[in-house]
Amino acid sequence: MTGSGKSGNNFPLEASTPTGTAPLESILCTEELHRRPSGPPNYEKENRALVKLVSTLADSPATVLQMLAETILEITQCDSAGLSLLTKDGKTPDVCGQRFYWPAIAGMWNPHAGGGTPRNFGPCGDVLDQNRTLLFRHFERRYPYLQPVAPAAEECLLVPFYVAGEAVGTIWAIMHSDRRKFDAEDDRVMASLGKFASSAYQALMHIEDLKFQVSRREKAEAEVRELARGLEAKIRRLVEANVVGIVMWNLEGAISGANEAFLRMVQYEREDLSSGCVRWTDLTPVEWRRYDDGAIADLKATGIFQPYEKEYFRKDGSRLPVLLGGALLEGDGNEGVAFVLDLTEQKRQESARLYSEERYRVVVETASDAVVSIDDEGSIVFANPATATIFGYEPAELAGKPLTLLVPEYMRELHQAGFKRYLATGQRHMNWQGTELTALRKNGEEFPVEVSFGEITRDGHKTFTGFLRDISKRKQAEQALRRSEEFLAEAQHLSHTGSFSWRVATDEITWSEQLYRIYEIESSVPVTLELICTRVHPEDLTLYEKMVEEARNGGNDFEWHYRLLMPDHSIKYMHALAHATRDQDGRLEYIAAVQDVTARKLVEEARDKARSELTHVARVTSLGTLTASIAHELNQPLSGIVTNASTCMRMLATDPPNVDGARETARRTIRDGNRASEMITRLRALFSKKSATTQSLDLNEATREVIALSLSELQKNRVILRPELAHDLPLVTGDRVQLQQVILNLLRNASDAMSTIDDRPRDLMIRTEPDDNDRVRLSVSDVGIGFEPQAAGKLFDAFYTTKNGGMGIGLSVSRSIIERHYGRLWVMPNNGPGVTFSFSIPCRPEGLADAETPANRTDLSADAA
Amino acid sequence: MELPKARGGGDRPLLSVVDDDESVRESLPDLLREFGFAARAFSSAEEFLSSDCLDQTSCLILDIAMPGMSGPQLQRELKRRGQEIPIIFITASTDKTVPPRLLEQGAIECLFKPFSDTALLEAVNSALHPR
Repeated sequence: MTGSGKSGNNFPLEASTPTGTAPLESILCTEELHRRPSGPPNYEKENRALVKLVSTLADSPATVLQMLAETILEITQCDSAGLSLLTKDGKTPDVCGQRFYWPAIAGMWNPHAGGGTPRNFGPCGDVLDQNRTLLFRHFERRYPYLQPVAPAAEECLLVPFYVAGEAVGTIWAIMHSDRRKFDAEDDRVMASLGKFASSAYQALMHIEDLKFQVSRREKAEAEVRELARGLEAKIRRLVEANVVGIVMWNLEGAISGANEAFLRMVQYEREDLSSGCVRWTDLTPVEWRRYDDGAIADLKATGIFQPYEKEYFRKDGSRLPVLLGGALLEGDGNEGVAFVLDLTEQKRQESARLYSEERYRVVVETASDAVVSIDDEGSIVFANPATATIFGYEPAELAGKPLTLLVPEYMRELHQAGFKRYLATGQRHMNWQGTELTALRKNGEEFPVEVSFGEITRDGHKTFTGFLRDISKRKQAEQALRRSEEFLAEAQHLSHTGSFSWRVATDEITWSEQLYRIYEIESSVPVTLELICTRVHPEDLTLYEKMVEEARNGGNDFEWHYRLLMPDHSIKYMHALAHATRDQDGRLEYIAAVQDVTARKLVEEARDKARSELTHVARVTSLGTLTASIAHELNQPLSGIVTNASTCMRMLATDPPNVDGARETARRTIRDGNRASEMITRLRALFSKKSATTQSLDLNEATREVIALSLSELQKNRVILRPELAHDLPLVTGDRVQLQQVILNLLRNASDAMSTIDDRPRDLMIRTEPDDNDRVRLSVSDVGIGFEPQAAGKLFDAFYTTKNGGMGIGLSVSRSIIERHYGRLWVMPNNGPGVTFSFSIPCRPEGLADAETPANRTDLSADAA
Repeated sequence: MELPKARGGGDRPLLSVVDDDESVRESLPDLLREFGFAARAFSSAEEFLSSDCLDQTSCLILDIAMPGMSGPQLQRELKRRGQEIPIIFITASTDKTVPPRLLEQGAIECLFKPFSDTALLEAVNSALHPR
C-alpha cells in the first residue's frame, strides 16, 4: 500500500519517472485560481483560528501540527487538509530527508496520517522544486502510488513552507468532489498558514533538540554512575579477593592496614598489625632499603612510584621476593596505598630455567655429535668438545673462523651463497633437519655428516647452531646392507618370491619390492590388509579373512594357497609360508615368503588333467575285466541250466515221454540255478576283498597321511579342513590301505558335496575319538548340499549315486571294507547344513584275517594264449 | 534226422565232452544221448588223454578254460599225436577274439555258453559230415 497507511513506512523509494504516466503540466491548473470567482476574506474567523493555534503551540506543542491541519480544513472548507514534512526515518522531521511524511491530516484523509510521498517524484516535491503554491487536479494520474489513497483527490492546493530559508515541507488542502473549487482567497489563506507552519516547525524542532540534549545528559550521568560503581566494586574485590597484597602505609614507616593476602605473605597476624609494631621499614632487608629510598623520592615528586622488585622478611626471618607498586592518597600527602605481588613462584621458575640451560650446556658439552654455532657473518662463535674428536680442531682454535673451514674447498662457495641468500630472503637452500653433507677434517679427509640446525634471533642478530654427526660408519653399513638387499631382491625376482613382515598388533605391513611386483601395485602405496583384499580372488576372500583371523590369534607358523585376481582378470596362484616370531616386547610378528606359483600350478593342472583321464581309462578297463569275469563265472552254471532244460524238454517230447529222465534234468536245472546264485555271492565277496593284510595301526596317523595326500585337492576346492584327532586314541587292527581308502573316499565325497556352496565357508571337519565297547570312531562332517531323507537308505547301494559325474561305487565299497573290519558305516544329517559320515570299528576284531578268506579263486587267465 | 556212424565201431558215434565244470559234464552227455549219440564226459584234458576213448571219439566237445591243460593245449597235443578228432569248443568267456584263432587251428565251431540245443546239434552234424 504505497503512500498511505498508519504504519508510515510504506514509502515508494523509486524516484525515477515511470514511463507512460501523465506529464506534470497535464495535472496542474494553478493559473485557474485567479480566474475563478472568489468570496470575500473572513478575517475574523482567520484571526480566531490563529489565536487558537498560537495558544496550542504554547500549551501543548505536540498537538500543534494536528491543530494546524484542522484549522486549514475549517477555514478553507475543504474535504481533507494536512502537512508533509521531509524526513529520513519516516517518523521525525529532518530537512536532509529524501521523502515526505504526513505527521498530521484532518478530514477525509485522516486515516492516512503517517503515510507519505517520495521527495523527487510527487506533488510536494514539485511544490518545493518550483518554490510556489501549486494547484493539482487528479495528481494520481501522474503519481500512480496515490491511486490507492481513497477517496481520490479532485483538486489539491499545495503550499511550500520554509525554515531559515530552507524548504522543509508543505501544507495542503484537498477537495474530493467538485462541490467547490479552490480560488485566490484559498491561496492567500494557505500562504498565511504556511508562515505559521514554519514557526510551528521551528518550535517543534527546538523541543526535539531539548529532549535530545536532556536524554544525552541523563545517559552520560548514568554511565558515570555505573563506572564509579564498577570501579569501586573492582577495587573492593581486589582487596577482598586477596590475590594481591594491599597495604596502607605512611611515609614514616608505619603500616595502618593490610588485607589477608599481604598478612599471609609476610606471615603476620592482624593483631601484630593493629599493635603498630609492624613497620615496613623493618620488613625490608638492609640491602633493599636504597630501592625504597628511590621509591619515596618518586612519591614525593609525582605522587606514585613505579613497581619494582624487592624482598621482605617474613615473621620467621625468611625472605620473600615481591613486586611492589603504589601511590600516595590524596590528602595530606603522607599516607599511601601499595600492592604487593608474591614472586616466589616466578623466582622458582626462573631458577628452573637457569637449571635447564645448564643441563643443555652439559648435553652439548658431552654430546658425541659436533655442535657448532655461527653468527650471521658465518663465523664460528661456539664449538663443543666433540668437534675436536670429529673434525680434529680444538674448540678454541675454531672461534672466529668461517664455518666453511669445515667443508671441502669445492663446496664452500655453494654454502656461502646459500647462507647469504637465506639471510637476505629467508629462503633455505637445503633441508635443515637431517641433511647429509660432505665435511672436511683438519687432516684433509672428507667424510659424510648428517647435519641438523636451527636459528635464534637475539637483538636483531641471528645465531645458527648445528649438530653434525659423523655418519661414515653408518654409510658403510648402509652400503653393505643395500648390496645384500639388492642380492635378495634379485633372488626374489628370479624365484618369483616376495616377502613381507606383518606386525599383528599395529597391522604394520612391509612388502618387498618383488611382492609389489607380483601384486602389481605401485611400491609407494602403503600396504594394508584392506589393500591386499582388493587383489585376493573373491572366491578366496573368506579363506583369506579366516587365515588373517587365525594368524592374529594363533601365533603359529602357517601356510596357505590362494589366488589373486588381477585387474586384467588374469589369475595368479600364490603359495605363502609364514613364520611367527615375537619381538623383545613379546609382540607377534610374521615373516613370510610368498611365491607366485602360477606357472607351476598350470603345469600341475595339465598333469592332473592327464592323470584324471588316465584314471578314467583304468577304471573303464578294470570294469571290463570285472564284467568279463562276472560273465565267465555266471555262464558256467547258466550253460548247465540251459542244457538241462533243453534235455528235459526233449525227454518229455518223446513217445512215451521219459519222465524219470526229465525229472532228473529238471532237478539239475534247479541245482545249477542255485549254483549261479552262489556264484554271484562269491563274486561280490571277491570284488570287495582283494588282498587284505591286517596289522595294528594308529588311525590318527593313517588319517594324517590321507589329509596330507588330499590337502592340495581340498585347497583347490577351497575347502577349510578342521582336523580334530583325539590324543588318546587306541590302536586298531585292520588293513591300513583299505581303511585309508575309506577315509579318502569320505573326504572326497564331503568335498564334492560342497563344490556348489559359495554363501558360507566350505568347512570340513574330520574327527577321531574312542567309541563305546572298545571301538574307535571316525567322522567326517561337511556343510554341503546334503541329501533327501528317502535317499539315505540307498546311499550305500552299489551303483547308486546322487552325483552326476560319479560312479557311486565308492560308498558301497567303503561299507564292505568297514564291514570286513567288523565295523559299521553310517550317515546322519547335521543340525545345520550338510551331513556327517561316521564309521566305528572294534580295536581287536577276532579272527579278522581268516574270517572271510575268499573261496578258492578261479584262475581266469590260464588260457587263450 | 539222419544219425552219423561211429568212427571206431559201435552203432552210434561217440561224442566226448571235456569240461572242468560239473554241471556241463552232467547235462551235456544226456542231451547228446537224446540226440541219439553215445557220449562220455571227462573232467580234464589229462583224463581224456589217458582214457581209451581217443580212437573211438568221433567228435570232441571241449571247454577252453580249464585248470591244468587248457582246451587249446589239448587241441595242439592231439594234432601233435596225429589224432585228427573234430573239435567243437565251448566257452564261458565272452571274449569274441578267441574263436577266430581256434577256428584257424582247425576247430569245427566255437560255442559261447550258454548255447542252445539246436546250435549244438548243428555243430555236431558239421563235425560228423564235413563238406
